[in-house]
Amino acid sequence: MSGTGLLVLAAALVLTAVAAWWLRARDGRVRTAEEETVGGPTAVLEGLGVRPGDADLTVVQFSTAFCGPCRTTRARLQHLQGTRPGLAYVHVDAESHLDAVRELGVRRTPTLFYLDRQGRLLGRSSGAPRPEELTAVVDAHTGAPS
Amino acid sequence: MTHSPARTVDVRGPRFAAWVTSAVLAVVLLTASGWLAVAQAAVFAVGAAAGLRYAPYAVLYRTLVAPRLGPAREREPEAPVRFAQLVGLVFAGVGAAGYLLGAPLLGAVATGLALVAALLNAATGFCLGCELYLTVRRARPARTA
Repeated sequence: MSGTGLLVLAAALVLTAVAAWWLRARDGRVRTAEEETVGGPTAVLEGLGVRPGDADLTVVQFSTAFCGPCRTTRARLQHLQGTRPGLAYVHVDAESHLDAVRELGVRRTPTLFYLDRQGRLLGRSSGAPRPEELTAVVDAHTGAPS
Repeated sequence: MTHSPARTVDVRGPRFAAWVTSAVLAVVLLTASGWLAVAQAAVFAVGAAAGLRYAPYAVLYRTLVAPRLGPAREREPEAPVRFAQLVGLVFAGVGAAGYLLGAPLLGAVATGLALVAALLNAATGFCLGCELYLTVRRARPARTA
C-alpha cells in the first residue's frame, strides 16, 4: 500500500466531488450581460453573419466536433425553433472561427449567446442548459408557444 | 483531421468504461504499480487509435453487460468519447512513466488527475477531455482559411 497513493486518491475524490458540485451549479445557467467584461460581443457575432433584427430572440451556439452535449443542445434548440416563430437559431463551428472565439472569451462548448431584436446581449451560458430552463428562457423572450 | 461519418455508441458503454477506468486507476494509486498504469494507458491507446469498437472496456460492455440491460435507448457520437481516450492516454502515459522512471510523485499526481477525469465522467457524464478541446485549440495560432 502506497501512502502517497492513498493521499492522492483521497485528494482526487474530493476534487471530483467539488468539480461535480460546481458543474451542477453552473452548467447551462444564463449569466446576464452586466457580468460581461468582453467589449462589443454583438459586433463580433454580427461579423459571423448573425442578424438579431430578424427575430425576437436569437440564440447563437458555439460547438466543436468533440462535444457530446453540443449535439443534444443543438437538437433541443432546433426543436424549439420549430415551435417558436420568434426564435432564430445560429450554429457556429468554434474551430473554424477561432478569432471570434478568442474575442468573445468562449472557453467551453457549448457556449450560447442570447440576443434580442435590438442586438442587445441578454446573456450567455456555458455547458448544456437543462431542457426546462432553456425552454423558459426562450419563452420569456419570444412569448408563449402558439 | 478526418471524421468518420457519425458513428454512434450506446451512451451507457462509455459510462461503464469510465467506472472500470476509475477502479483501475484507484488500484494504480494504492499499489503504485507502474505496469498497471501502462496497461491502462494501452487500453486508452486502443480506444483512441482503433476506435471504440476495439476498446477493451467497450468490448467488455458489449459482450457481458449490454445483453443484460436491454436495448440502448440513447446513443451518442463516437468522436468526443474517442478524443477523451487520447486525453486519458496522455495522463496515464505520464503516470506510467513517472512510476517506472523513478518519479513516483509525478506518477501519482498524473494518475490522480486521470482519476478525477474518469470519475467525473462516470458519475456525472461530464467529459473533461471534450471540454478542454477548444481550450487547446484556442491557444494555438489561428488557421488561415
